[in-house]
Amino acid sequence: MASKVTSNPPLSAATLHILLALAGGNLHGYGIIKEVAFNSEGHYKLGPGTLYDNLKKLMDAGLVADARKSVSTKDDDRRFYTLTREGRHALAAEVDRLQSVVSKARLRLQETKAGRA
Amino acid sequence: MSRVVLRFAYRVLLRLHPASFQDEFGSEMLWIYDQECQRGGAAYLLLDGAISLLRQHCKVQSDPGQVSIASGAVITGPGIGPVRFLQAGITFSVMFFGLMRLFGQPNALTVSVKWADRMPCYTVTLEAPSHAEVVLQSTP
Repeated sequence: MASKVTSNPPLSAATLHILLALAGGNLHGYGIIKEVAFNSEGHYKLGPGTLYDNLKKLMDAGLVADARKSVSTKDDDRRFYTLTREGRHALAAEVDRLQSVVSKARLRLQETKAGRA
Repeated sequence: MSRVVLRFAYRVLLRLHPASFQDEFGSEMLWIYDQECQRGGAAYLLLDGAISLLRQHCKVQSDPGQVSIASGAVITGPGIGPVRFLQAGITFSVMFFGLMRLFGQPNALTVSVKWADRMPCYTVTLEAPSHAEVVLQSTP
C-alpha cells in the first residue's frame, strides 16, 4: 500500500484540503467543509458535491474510512470520517512534494532577482 | 417561495445521481445544502451539485462494470445509459433558465447558428448580471 501511495500523482486541491482537515481529528461532512474554509481562511470553498465525490474516491483508495463513534459523538447521527494510516502517509508525501516545489520556486525567484540586480 | 423551488431543484439533482452514491451521501448532502442555504449561495450549491452529477455519471460510464460470459452471452455491469444523461441535461437546462428568470435575466443565453463555407458557425452569448457579455464563438 505504501508503495502505491508514494507512486500516486499529486493530490488535487480538494483532496489535499480534505486530508488536511481530517488530519486534525475525525469530522463529519459539514465539519470538513467548515474546517477547509477555516484552514484556507475562506479562500477555498468546498461544496457538498465536491466533498462527497472526493470522499468516495478517498474511501475507495483506503485513505479515509468511517470513524468509530466516540463518547462525544455517540449521540450524533451524522457519519464521521477518519484519516487512515495510508491517508496520513499520502498527506505527508504530498506535503513533502509541495515543500520541494516551494523551495525550488524560492530559489528561482532569488536567481531572477539576482539576475535583475 | 424561490427557496423552496431551489431546494426542490437540488433534491432533483440528488435523485439523478447514481443510486449507490445517492444512498450513501444523498441525505448528508441535502442536510449540508440546508445549512449552507441559510447563509445564502444556493446558486453555488446547485452548480456544485450539477458538476458532481456529471462527474458521477462520467465515472459510472467509464467503469465497464463486471463482465461475465454465460453460455455465450456477454452480460455487462451497471452502466448507465444515455437516458439518464438526457434527464440530467434537461434538468440542468430547466434549472439554468429557471435561475436566470429568477434573477431577472430571462435571455441570459442566446445561441445562433450561421453557415460559413458549408460549416456551421455557432455563436453562444452569455449575458452576465452586470450586463457584461461573454461571447464564445466557434470558427469554421
